Amino acid sequence: MAFAPLDQVLHNQLRLAIMSLLVAVEEGDFNFLLEKTGATRGNLSVQISKLKEVGYIEVKKAFKENYPNTVCSITPKGLSAFEHYVQAIKGYLGQ
Amino acid sequence: MDANLTPEQSLKLIESMIGQAKRSFHRMSFYFLLWGVLLTLAMVAQLFSAQFGISDRGYGWGAASIVGAVASAIYGAREGRREQVETMADRVVMWLWIGFVITLLATGIGAGVAGYSTPVGSIMILTGLPTFVTGQLIRFKPLILGGVLFWVLGTVSFFVDPLWMGILHIVSMVFGYIIPGSILKQQENGLRTA
Repeated sequence: MAFAPLDQVLHNQLRLAIMSLLVAVEEGDFNFLLEKTGATRGNLSVQISKLKEVGYIEVKKAFKENYPNTVCSITPKGLSAFEHYVQAIKGYLGQ
Repeated sequence: MDANLTPEQSLKLIESMIGQAKRSFHRMSFYFLLWGVLLTLAMVAQLFSAQFGISDRGYGWGAASIVGAVASAIYGAREGRREQVETMADRVVMWLWIGFVITLLATGIGAGVAGYSTPVGSIMILTGLPTFVTGQLIRFKPLILGGVLFWVLGTVSFFVDPLWMGILHIVSMVFGYIIPGSILKQQENGLRTA
């Protein structure tokens, strides 16, 4: 039986965590992702940039109470990739 | 770390993150407590006025509405600046209640101008809808039961005299808004992050 290849962008603990959080909410800011993933600021920034580069998430930068605020949301391409990834791992698990 | 991510771990991570995100809805207990207390006081004022033959000309309801609207607007603006996340449920709840307030205003103004008596029973039944739906959306049973109580007592209030209608309104406010609001506030203080 042939298994579907796993999307290597998503097959990363932190990137997968970010995508899972954004699938569940319409949009979440940097602090929300930081708090829920427990990642470091630097690592989170790097992984957000990677997800943005491949077009899986949209990143909006704005100001909130005079401080810069980064708000992320999943794109239709990201949602589709996430769904394929879930189907693929379910295939591996025989579900 | 990433090379060792097995399909089981991936699935567990996805479930865990989605589970955490689902608990991140906006704080809303303030509104239930605020409006529950204000509308209970307005009805108590109306009942006292009626019992002692004083015409209150609806000042109690007017004052409660103005205080409630101003306090809600200030709190909503302050919370809006703090929120880290917006879910679909948050947006549905917000627009549901805005739609409800518009419906209520249209009903109250229309009835007042046309000279109908205050449709307390209809308003209670109407109040049951957003209360029940909000309870379902945030999976909070006291609010779901509160919505059902509004529907039941609203229906009963068509068959009782004005004094009992007022008492039923107060009971529904206490059990439909104030008590669920208090329980929700405790949960928000302990659990919620958004």
